Amino acid sequence: MNLYQSYADINIKLPQGKARYISKGNAGIRIPGVPDPECRRMHYPKIGIYAGSGTSHSWLWFVDMFDRMGFHAVSVLDAPAVRSGRLQQMDVLAVSGGDTVAIAEALGEDGARQLAAFITGGGVYLGACAGAYLVMNSSKPHLCHFNFAAVKITNLSKRLPTCHGMPHKFSIAYGCGHIFHPVREAVGLRLTGVPPFSSEPALLAPLYGGPGMLAPPEAQVLARYDHFTDKTVFLVDKDLAEETLISTAAALRVPMGNGQMYLFGPHFEHPHYHRANRLVANAVYRDSGRNPDGRPPVAVARDALELPASESANFIRSLRRELSNSRIVAAGFEMLPVRWLIGAKVYEPEKIRVFLDAMWRRLKPLEKRGRIWARAGVPDLLMADACETTVLLRRLKNEIDKGSDTDLIARTLFHLLQRNTMRFFELYFQTISNNLTP
Amino acid sequence: MGIKIDALKCINCMACEMACSYHRDDGFAFLSACIVVYRAREKQDYFGVLLKEEEFLKVARPEGLEVNRIGEAADPNKKADASVKPMLLREGCDLCEDMDDYGPMCIAICPADAITLE
Amino acid sequence: MEYLSTDKIIVIDLATSKIEETALDESLVSEKIGGAGITKHLYEKYLNDDPIVIGTGLLTGTTCPASAIGLITAKSPVTGKLCHCPIIYKVGIEIKFSGYDYIVVKGVSDNPVYLWIHDGVADISDASGIWGKDVWESTDSLRKLMGDDLIQTMVIGKAGENRSDYAQICYNYWSSPDRFGLGKLFGGKKLKGLAFRGMGLIEVADHENFVRRSFEILKEIKTNVFMTKKGIAEIASDIGEAGIKEWLEPIVHRHSADYFTPYATNTVVFLDEDPKRVEESKVAEPGVLISDIPALLAFKKLGLSAEDTGRALKACAKYGIDPAAVAELSGKSSLKEIVDSFDGLSGTVTLKGKGSFSPWCPLKPIFNDFGLSGDAAEAETWWERRQAVAMIFGIQPVFSVMCPELSEENMLELAGIGTELDLTQEILDRVVADLLK
Repeated sequence: MNLYQSYADINIKLPQGKARYISKGNAGIRIPGVPDPECRRMHYPKIGIYAGSGTSHSWLWFVDMFDRMGFHAVSVLDAPAVRSGRLQQMDVLAVSGGDTVAIAEALGEDGARQLAAFITGGGVYLGACAGAYLVMNSSKPHLCHFNFAAVKITNLSKRLPTCHGMPHKFSIAYGCGHIFHPVREAVGLRLTGVPPFSSEPALLAPLYGGPGMLAPPEAQVLARYDHFTDKTVFLVDKDLAEETLISTAAALRVPMGNGQMYLFGPHFEHPHYHRANRLVANAVYRDSGRNPDGRPPVAVARDALELPASESANFIRSLRRELSNSRIVAAGFEMLPVRWLIGAKVYEPEKIRVFLDAMWRRLKPLEKRGRIWARAGVPDLLMADACETTVLLRRLKNEIDKGSDTDLIARTLFHLLQRNTMRFFELYFQTISNNLTP
Repeated sequence: MGIKIDALKCINCMACEMACSYHRDDGFAFLSACIVVYRAREKQDYFGVLLKEEEFLKVARPEGLEVNRIGEAADPNKKADASVKPMLLREGCDLCEDMDDYGPMCIAICPADAITLE
Repeated sequence: MEYLSTDKIIVIDLATSKIEETALDESLVSEKIGGAGITKHLYEKYLNDDPIVIGTGLLTGTTCPASAIGLITAKSPVTGKLCHCPIIYKVGIEIKFSGYDYIVVKGVSDNPVYLWIHDGVADISDASGIWGKDVWESTDSLRKLMGDDLIQTMVIGKAGENRSDYAQICYNYWSSPDRFGLGKLFGGKKLKGLAFRGMGLIEVADHENFVRRSFEILKEIKTNVFMTKKGIAEIASDIGEAGIKEWLEPIVHRHSADYFTPYATNTVVFLDEDPKRVEESKVAEPGVLISDIPALLAFKKLGLSAEDTGRALKACAKYGIDPAAVAELSGKSSLKEIVDSFDGLSGTVTLKGKGSFSPWCPLKPIFNDFGLSGDAAEAETWWERRQAVAMIFGIQPVFSVMCPELSEENMLELAGIGTELDLTQEILDRVVADLLK
């Protein structure tokens, strides 16, 4: 059976109120039926994925992972949503990669307070790469509000080592020093056998700027960097890379109040690393327990309405038309010698299609449902933004052909893509999850 | 070892794109190929071949080969974020390492022998 | 129809703007195979609506060598008979990857429209902005409007809009195999053309064996004598045209092929740029792509120089008029007079063949003799059959008359592996017989 299918099967039963139990000792076992002291009842979690300012596109990897595994009570949150307290409705918050400082700045002190309350109240925090750096103690502006874990970063240095390749991907300034990235791509990890990471001894996961970590006393080390692979790209001397990473922590479980923070250096949520994905899912099952009696969750948004079948069909048809128009233009940008520096991040043209394709792939499943669930006005806003996206893309193409500066259009476009993709997934998960509860 | 492309031998037939995409998708499409015929200058009869590798983009033009590093900062004077995530849509060339019967599919399928292994 | 197919037929009524989509039934493929076998069936189904049927071959867009073409099936204004015109270059495959195997266009629009077919979406769009533009301007406008230089088009020029009997449907910027005046049909429906673009994926039943067999066939093809040759002059020379290579060579720029067609059947000549230039030309429209050998030879016979022939062909492509008809009917021998004859061109052309398939494709074997004795009647029967089979499977027609390695047996075998349908020689014979009757 497909790895994701076993999780999807469980995630069909849980919201139906069917009892499933998970061993506290070994998260790899799902025991149906009679509970025992070593097990706790599994819970179908409400998951928030942060996709607001400062994120790159890798939050979509969390979306893909949760979607394939049948975790459909998902909300995609921006910074205002976090600041306004939406986290308190969630069981899990996932923060993936991006610009750590920009994320911290967007969330601000209010966001930090909400996040702290969420975790100490029993929430599960999944932080990968930038999401991991975010909650580590730091005196840096903006980051200083998020001092939740006294993790030492092993790839932080006052003096930059010699860069042996990819200078544009090598380092960022961090306070008085620099975070440098010794390697990129797949690295080998050794699991420590601490639940929930006890189902296998080793696996691979991709590193794209995430930390090597030294655990604080209260934390459990779940995985360590063990070896490099033939796919690993070295940005520093190999000896230095080994010294910086090997045997340091790649995944930590850090308690905070009643909750847990899972901090990942590599991207365990990357869609090509299924075994790593499984460990994340196990972590979610093990520790998300803000709804201890196992009741199925209510619809993700109480104010979502079901659209009539004909309106739903028209909406999907129109959205398909516009997404197709956008994708066609975006496909033409691939491999063009153009890229944009927006903030501190480089945006390549392919990234446009990452957002568009994430929506495109989900049109068929939406069509199959027959009826869409959405908050009032959201379908119209989605359509308006989808049309605007096509207009901007065509204008961008025109300007590129003329050799004009396209930074402003690109900035507007990526902002629009981020917003529209978030809105789309709000509608998508509302539709999917509203078909789950009895 | 890598792919070498002679753009002057190329006849713009796109078989390489199809074969590469098949290697990744097990179906017939052009979506996922890391080798792409550049054919956007149809009236000028100007065509060549682009190959995406892990770190580099090889541009085989009729007038010669150009190799560009992928993901360099748009403004070389500004420091770019070091944690740029790679794209999923087109992976870099892996020389079809799992296709023992054919070796690199683009080489095997090119009817003009414009693509070779160097 | 799960394999080698988009599983979609679309029927577009230009009068009512109604668009109906149906699935392609497997039983239809089992009975009619594909390409012209099915377009003819659809034509007959919608006969009362004077349809134009655009389709793809069963193997179009696969790893079968030369699986490049789509086709247009309609009643020719020139011959009055049902004809099948190949859709070549990269346009044929784009139809399938845009999401449809077959497109039926019926009815007459009140206002000029074009069809924008993209990723399983069919839009009837207002063509008032491009009605009146020539073929090149029209394709440029559509590509600019959609924001993509790789959009493939089938458009008419002024000849089609004026409903000339010799109006051609042109593909992107170039003349096509349309000898049948199909451009007049488009003009009569106020249909400026179709634009295609898609990122579809075609599933294959037993993809490993399909690809393995494709490579085996390709390996055999690569031993053929034509693999050392390229371009239209070599073809013309082989079919008996003396001196053509020397005549054309001074203006030849490059040769190119239709999708996965091992022989480069298209030659671009440069008229306003150094033909030896390899860098991208700074001239926006330096020359013209030629795939039409009979038309090329017809202009040469009128005494035109190679350069003037190129300019005449370019003018025909822009105007959207059949260059072979122009060469035959204009009665002129200077470039200016030839171009001036477009408007109001009339007369009866001599169309070789039986009128079902386009004589744009030379009516004899090229580079290989296919075991034919040289008897004219035998060659004619052979050619008709070869074209029919090419139209059914989606094989580039010129390549099909030069490549014995692409046998019916090989095509049937690939079709069977790719679809898991039992497609026999008997079925193929029946479909061919139906097309040729």
